[in-house]
Amino acid sequence: MTMKERITASLKEFGLPRLIITGFLVLLLIIAPFVGSDLPTQISNIINRFSWNGILVLAMVPMVHSGCGLNFGLPLGIISGLLGATISIEMGFTGGMSFVVAILVATPFALVFGSLYGWLLNKIKGGEMMIATYVGFSSVSLMCMMWLVLPYHSPNMVWGLSGKGLRTTISLEGYFDQALAGIAQINIGNISIPTGTLLFFALLAFAIWAFLHTKTGTAMTAVGSNPKFAKAAGINVDRIRMLSVVMSTWLAAVGILVYEQGFGFIQLYMAPFYMALPAVSAILIGGASVNKASIMNVIVGTILFQGIVTMTPTVMNNMIHMDMSEVIRIIASMGMILFALTRKTEASR
Amino acid sequence: MKIKEKFNLRQASVPIMFILICAVCIPLSGLSPKMLINEIITRMGRNSFLILSLLIPIMAGMGLNFGMTLGAMAAEIALILVCDWQIVSVPGMILAAIISVPISVLLGIFCGKILNRAKGREMITSYIMAFFVNGIYQLIVLYLMGKVIPIKHSSIKLPRGYGIRNTVSLLSMRQKLDNMLAINVAGVKIPVLTFIIIAVMCFIIIWFRRTKLGQDMRAVGQDMDVARDAGINVERTRIISIVISTVLAGLGMIIYLQNMGNIATYTAHSQIGMFCIAALLVGGASVDKASIGNVFLGVILFHTMFIVAPRAGAYITGDSMIGEYFRVFVSYAVITVALIMYETNKRKAKSAASMKLKDAQDSEETQKSADAQEG
Amino acid sequence: MDKKRQLIFRGAAILIILAIAAVMFVIGRGHTIYFDNKTAEYDGKKYESFYKVAVIKDKEKVAKLADDERGMADLMGQTLSVTLEITDEKGADPHSAKVSMPIPYSLDGIVINIPELMAGLPAEAYMTEFVPVATSEDEEEEEVVIDEFEITDDM
Repeated sequence: MTMKERITASLKEFGLPRLIITGFLVLLLIIAPFVGSDLPTQISNIINRFSWNGILVLAMVPMVHSGCGLNFGLPLGIISGLLGATISIEMGFTGGMSFVVAILVATPFALVFGSLYGWLLNKIKGGEMMIATYVGFSSVSLMCMMWLVLPYHSPNMVWGLSGKGLRTTISLEGYFDQALAGIAQINIGNISIPTGTLLFFALLAFAIWAFLHTKTGTAMTAVGSNPKFAKAAGINVDRIRMLSVVMSTWLAAVGILVYEQGFGFIQLYMAPFYMALPAVSAILIGGASVNKASIMNVIVGTILFQGIVTMTPTVMNNMIHMDMSEVIRIIASMGMILFALTRKTEASR
Repeated sequence: MKIKEKFNLRQASVPIMFILICAVCIPLSGLSPKMLINEIITRMGRNSFLILSLLIPIMAGMGLNFGMTLGAMAAEIALILVCDWQIVSVPGMILAAIISVPISVLLGIFCGKILNRAKGREMITSYIMAFFVNGIYQLIVLYLMGKVIPIKHSSIKLPRGYGIRNTVSLLSMRQKLDNMLAINVAGVKIPVLTFIIIAVMCFIIIWFRRTKLGQDMRAVGQDMDVARDAGINVERTRIISIVISTVLAGLGMIIYLQNMGNIATYTAHSQIGMFCIAALLVGGASVDKASIGNVFLGVILFHTMFIVAPRAGAYITGDSMIGEYFRVFVSYAVITVALIMYETNKRKAKSAASMKLKDAQDSEETQKSADAQEG
Repeated sequence: MDKKRQLIFRGAAILIILAIAAVMFVIGRGHTIYFDNKTAEYDGKKYESFYKVAVIKDKEKVAKLADDERGMADLMGQTLSVTLEITDEKGADPHSAKVSMPIPYSLDGIVINIPELMAGLPAEAYMTEFVPVATSEDEEEEEVVIDEFEITDDM
């Protein structure tokens, strides 16, 4: 193999869309100072948004590993998180405590929903992604009714006039707004680093990494890469797949809580609807494929994706006075998912 | 035989469920029969053609074509241009149809080629495809129109000088097709011409199924490898089926929008695919089998539910939002259930086939397989 | 041979479709016609407005104009033919006049001054382009909503 062949081969492996997206971000970073946008602020924004979204992207990893494909059913986990958050506030907890309780309350929901979801996905092996998408949609629209009907009473959450039915956005001020980000926050000039959130992400990422190196973890990888071989080796494939789905769902529940503490608001009703798509495209941009994903992919992907999300509006606006960021974001992220779906992998198992 | 009967019962379960929902909701909604029938007739004229566009990819084994949105976007671009050129009424629609076709064909070829690279997961890919092309659509309509593509009238252009407004009025075309030859039966307006066009399309689809290409498509839908061995160009056949679907979706969207009387520039197409697919499934279709009968039964049942659910919900709970969310939930739930049924059936068929294969092998090499099972 | 024939058929089909498109451009062009019943001056001469004018297009009364009023009608194609029912003064019997005139393709809106038209003046006298006045609300920037979650009632 000549050098040239080797380069083209590795480029092919890396993928053209990924190359374009990485190049685009590098370009944005280079241009940014010249068009008068403040680089430290930008970097601070990227770090912050990374800390909000990291765990949602991490939630992709277990299911990809066990061969369940990209978790388009992320909204199901998000709903568990939302239930945790709202119930925690309803129960009257405030401050950092409300965050802890939110996670504690969200956990059983995530376990139950995740088990049902995992059971379903075991019934329809090979068609996971499409059904996951629609399980997400169905659950979000079912919960739309529930948010109206469930007996919530906290005046900070329900509509003021009728006194019932949750609002579409609920402010977390006084509750777990910045609960993690506020821990050991570092402020240097324009840069502020949410140390607590980053550490929390690192903790979970390390836990997942460590888990994937345990016996069960390697079994999960085996199930994902070669289910027939795994079965022959005596691994209970369905149980492992179920475990991965439950893990993904729980991570999504925690992920949305971490997102909310950074963002400062709970968004209900149709808000979780398309939340799976940015997370899916982020991990793919980071180098994952439909059946392979690592913690590194999560970190790189989230930084790249959030980098583009935060950089394009300001840089584009300063450069050509047109805010095309939304369109660029859609084309780039959807193009990335399309690219991943058309890769030759074990399409039909 | 027994299996077949059971299968049919499963197929019929969704329509029966919907008939029950409608039967409960109609009296609660408080709508007069005349109003209800009027609404259903209007929606049949508006949506049937769009749903017909889904049939051909199903025939070719490519599942529910979520990429039909692509055709809808092509139609919207054509209508925006025609509106700016001030070509009105039915000639405007014909011109928009002519313009939409090449755009639909190009998008269809693109979509078909991508789907050929994602065999076995066509649906999720076409679903993401719709989002991807929506991004390109926004790029064209929001930034290029008025800058690169000349747009003259400030009534459809954003005040900033480029990009199209949130809504484009189609007042000059509004229901011009429906009102042509329209008749009034006991206070119910029937858009005869629209129904004639839909009927012609149905006959074309029936005819198409019998052509060589239609037969090829069915063969590809049954088994790609067998079709390939029989000398059918599988890839090309699949692309053609998507192209036809996209073009039909574009024409259907023009019929849909002339009835609505305005284009919601950035949202009109986004949910079209979902609602059309849900309606088709409600009519008793499945991911791999759909007939023209499913289309019409589906339109009637789905849209009856759509009309009465919010009112019935408001009557029961005193909150109209619950009914609105309920019908959205039902739409998604129907698609979810249909997808699950399809995948489980596919798995059953697969394992049944491998069992058969195994049996055959067993009888051939009884000794060997016995050894293997022991070991 | 077969391929050649197929090519010819395809070419012909495309040509026919293009021809249909061209025809649609001509017959489908819409104009808005504004009828003015206003006193006007041309070449130093004054043309007095009528007491009342009714504009009838396709057997349908599209506008009823009192003195100094403006009415409006939509037109498809490039020929305007209307019947004007003119009442010269109060109490007088109306007399009708059939008028037919070509409308320039390029103009969206056209103002026709009826007194000048009835006096038999040339087209450039009674026909003027309608220029819409930009209203102040038009100048406000409209925010584009790309909300995909919206639940619409009209599906």
